[in-house]
Amino acid sequence: MSSEYRSSIGMGRTGIQTSMALLCIVLLASCTTTTVDEFRQGETGIESHESIVILGRRQGSSYETREEFVDCVGDRVARGARAIRVIPEKEFIDSMFPWFEPRTAPLRTSDLQTLMEEQLVADKIQDYGIRYIVWLDGQTETSNREGSISCAVGPGGGGCFGFGSWEDDSNFDARVWDVSSFLNVGTISTDASGQSYVPAVVIPIPLIARVEANACSSLASQLQQFVNGD
Amino acid sequence: MGYSKTLKNLALLGLVVTLSACGVSSLEVSGSYPTPNVRQIPLTLGVYYDEALRNFTYIEYSEAGKEEYQIASGQTHMQLFDSVLPAMFERVIILNDLTAAQTEQVDAVFVPSIEEFQLALPQKTRLDSYEVWVKYNMRLQGPQGDYIADWVLTSYGKTSTATFRSVEAGINDATVGALRDLGSSFTLSFSSVPEVRDWLGAQQ
Repeated sequence: MSSEYRSSIGMGRTGIQTSMALLCIVLLASCTTTTVDEFRQGETGIESHESIVILGRRQGSSYETREEFVDCVGDRVARGARAIRVIPEKEFIDSMFPWFEPRTAPLRTSDLQTLMEEQLVADKIQDYGIRYIVWLDGQTETSNREGSISCAVGPGGGGCFGFGSWEDDSNFDARVWDVSSFLNVGTISTDASGQSYVPAVVIPIPLIARVEANACSSLASQLQQFVNGD
Repeated sequence: MGYSKTLKNLALLGLVVTLSACGVSSLEVSGSYPTPNVRQIPLTLGVYYDEALRNFTYIEYSEAGKEEYQIASGQTHMQLFDSVLPAMFERVIILNDLTAAQTEQVDAVFVPSIEEFQLALPQKTRLDSYEVWVKYNMRLQGPQGDYIADWVLTSYGKTSTATFRSVEAGINDATVGALRDLGSSFTLSFSSVPEVRDWLGAQQ
């Protein structure tokens, strides 16, 4: 074997090792950090015939809690061994129209108590068997956008080159209202953040940190335990 | 021969695409509205949608002053009132003519009208949402056309920009949100309008 050939094998190995190390660094760096806090203010528990409804807060002018996030939390709370019956947000808001619209929804538990004096509202809540109303409030913000990717197409083909990165930060609160006592029985807060990368050498490879998805799963599992009174 | 014909067709297609990209984009707002859960007023209400409401179209102009979007929302406004009013009143009669109010023996005639429509597009505001504001004038009159009440209502709808959502879909969703807001505020505030409250009191 010639020394020139051995040298090219060595160079190739070093290149692969460097690429793998870079990929590992990027993969690890695109992980998400999630923190969940629970503040309990009252006893909780739910019977099998009872249900909960998870609603997004949409009163703010600067942001509104995304419907997709509310659905994600609802789907996860309704899954598993300790699953809870969750009334879909859209179905609930439509059937309670016009009492849970962005401008008319109760902001405090005392507002809910006043609202329940309306017989039509109280009957609907009872028909659904709703024990808790969970208000989700929050958003995901993207910051620190850096880098750029350029793409070009020519007669011989095309490709992209460059590097982009950004940071996502999700902050959500879940306030749990007990419909039977008109009390706020607790608040669960979740904060998730993570860095995403898109390196592009001919083909862009998106390495996306699943920040909102992690915030959703953490919040949902904590909420499930909280409502079950575990 | 075949090659030049293909080239001509391609050039024509390119021209059509370019010209259509410069033209105004028309949109007919469509949505569905839930029935309100409110106590029914035991009265017969006549509803008159005038031509201005039936054919209401808002035109959004580009920064260069050219027509950019034509948003027709008259039909969806009528759909909203047709969904809301029968839940509020025992009997609702749609009137094609205001003079028909006496023959139909209605207790009052409701005449809604749009005074102002505003649209905020993300490409102009640099915000991540489509927003719609609408100002209405609501009029309630007796079967003979006598004044009962006249009040202003405003509504607001917003929808966030999302990947793969077209501008038309964003405008549609924001408008439907504004109409839903109108439906909820109209339903809940109707009996609180001072003149309406007095009139309702006199009917009992």
